[in-house]
Amino acid sequence: MNSGIDVQEIFVRSLVDLGLPPGAAKAIWMPLPMLLMIIGATVGVLVTVWLERKISAAAQQRIGPEYIGPLGVLAPVADGLKLIFKEDVVPARSDPFLFTLGPVIVVIPVFLSYMIVPFGQNLVVTNVGMGVFLWIALSSVAPIGLLMSGYASNNKYSLLGGLRAAAQSISYEIPLALSVLAIAMMSNSLSTVDIVNQQSGYGVLGWNVWRQPVGFIIFWIAALAECERIPFDLPEAEEELVAGYQTEYSGMKFALFYLGAYVNLVLSALLVAVLYLGGWEFPIPLDIVANWLGVSEANPIFQIVTASLGITMTLLKAYFLVFLAILMRWTVPRVRIDQLLDLGWKFLLPISLVNLLLTAGLKLAFPAAFGG
Amino acid sequence: MLKFLKQVGDYTKEAVQAARYIGQGLSVTFDHMQRRPVTVQYPYEKLIPSERFRGRIHFEFDKCISCEVCVRVCPINLPVVDWEFNTEMKKKQLKHYSIDFGVCIFCGNCVEFCPTNCLSMTEEYELSVYDRHELNYDNVALGRLPYKVTNDPMVTPLRELAYLPKGMIDPHDLPADARRSGLRPEEILEQMEK
Repeated sequence: MNSGIDVQEIFVRSLVDLGLPPGAAKAIWMPLPMLLMIIGATVGVLVTVWLERKISAAAQQRIGPEYIGPLGVLAPVADGLKLIFKEDVVPARSDPFLFTLGPVIVVIPVFLSYMIVPFGQNLVVTNVGMGVFLWIALSSVAPIGLLMSGYASNNKYSLLGGLRAAAQSISYEIPLALSVLAIAMMSNSLSTVDIVNQQSGYGVLGWNVWRQPVGFIIFWIAALAECERIPFDLPEAEEELVAGYQTEYSGMKFALFYLGAYVNLVLSALLVAVLYLGGWEFPIPLDIVANWLGVSEANPIFQIVTASLGITMTLLKAYFLVFLAILMRWTVPRVRIDQLLDLGWKFLLPISLVNLLLTAGLKLAFPAAFGG
Repeated sequence: MLKFLKQVGDYTKEAVQAARYIGQGLSVTFDHMQRRPVTVQYPYEKLIPSERFRGRIHFEFDKCISCEVCVRVCPINLPVVDWEFNTEMKKKQLKHYSIDFGVCIFCGNCVEFCPTNCLSMTEEYELSVYDRHELNYDNVALGRLPYKVTNDPMVTPLRELAYLPKGMIDPHDLPADARRSGLRPEEILEQMEK
């Protein structure tokens, strides 16, 4: 198996060649991918906000932002700037400490989860052995922050929103984890890099969607619910709860919630792409293309092309899913709270259990196709 | 056991049905994305108001005979007619006339009933001001000539949907002499005379 370019190794080796001790070289390298990831995630959010506004406009036969930069691309930047300059209001008789801590606790785990998103064989911040599990663990921290901010706001709408957010996150975490478990069983690993590698080799045909169609749908529904997107945006249902747990927030604290929601959406889309749509894999296996063109796989230009193609493919797949989520937003109405819990506990949970059992059975019966 | 299997089957059927409906909805939304936007980019583009548009009221001071019919037909007796009987002329002499457009509902009764046609409707609709008292138009303000969208060099006038040629939906890039669908009023009159 070709491992592709390893930027870290090249970077560290060149620093060592310059005369630095290997430990110092590694320490200099370490913050770079993290910074890159944070910047990447933020830019991804700006792109998503712009896309959301443009696609929503197109779906409603409007134009959308047009004059703020070419095609209105600077609209999300303007939004962010406005939020930075807004007054930071803490409501009377609220708990200022929890009120401030809430949005922080919501945002940090989402950004931390970007650690495990791979864009290539070595293009990942850390290849943790239990990457997906880490993501599930981190994403269940967020409802604590939501509950905290809802409770601290001294507002009945906020409290209701926070409680709903907690209920929703807890009930959709389980089908989400179960469908991830089926994937982990098939790839014999929780590491995101291994999961993608297990899907590689056969192009589109090898992707997990074909082996886990039910799991894919369950995962996507649960991920939408985790992101509190329509049709599952009950915690911030504006018609009934003003803005849910965000009601009392303004300025930078509100911006954190806003940022967190969109980063979470992009993250979920990226993870669906990684778990089910073959991650950075091109629809046609690239080693076949290399053979066909008569290029050696160790060719540096080929490797750079492969790496950039990998990043592009991951982003393309993720943004396709984001597009789907936006389209969904203008198609389906919001579900009621009882329907939401019914769907989570009475439909998704049993189906994901059956899916897990079936996967286990198929793995025993056809070890070749289901990763024995 | 059979009953349980039937339940599972029914449940699956319902789930598939629901998924199909959602798919149908998604395809409708997707189809809307390739339709042209209906946006009129307001300060730069404006729709041409129709002939019977009821906008700001225009008033001609010299035609008015101070009969106060406009006040009587007005649902809220809005027009203020300030006149004095001139003994020399043996006529009512109009001193001031005003209508408060902050209160007016633009029903057009005054225009309809004015015996001397000194009141008329214009196509002006941009009546926003910083102070509501600015909307209380006196006879000078009421007598100002109406502003026309088609004469404004800053504005691209757009025709309304009913004034487009047959089959057209988009008012952009329409040739200026394009005829609207159906017969024009004068043509209908001509046909009636025949």
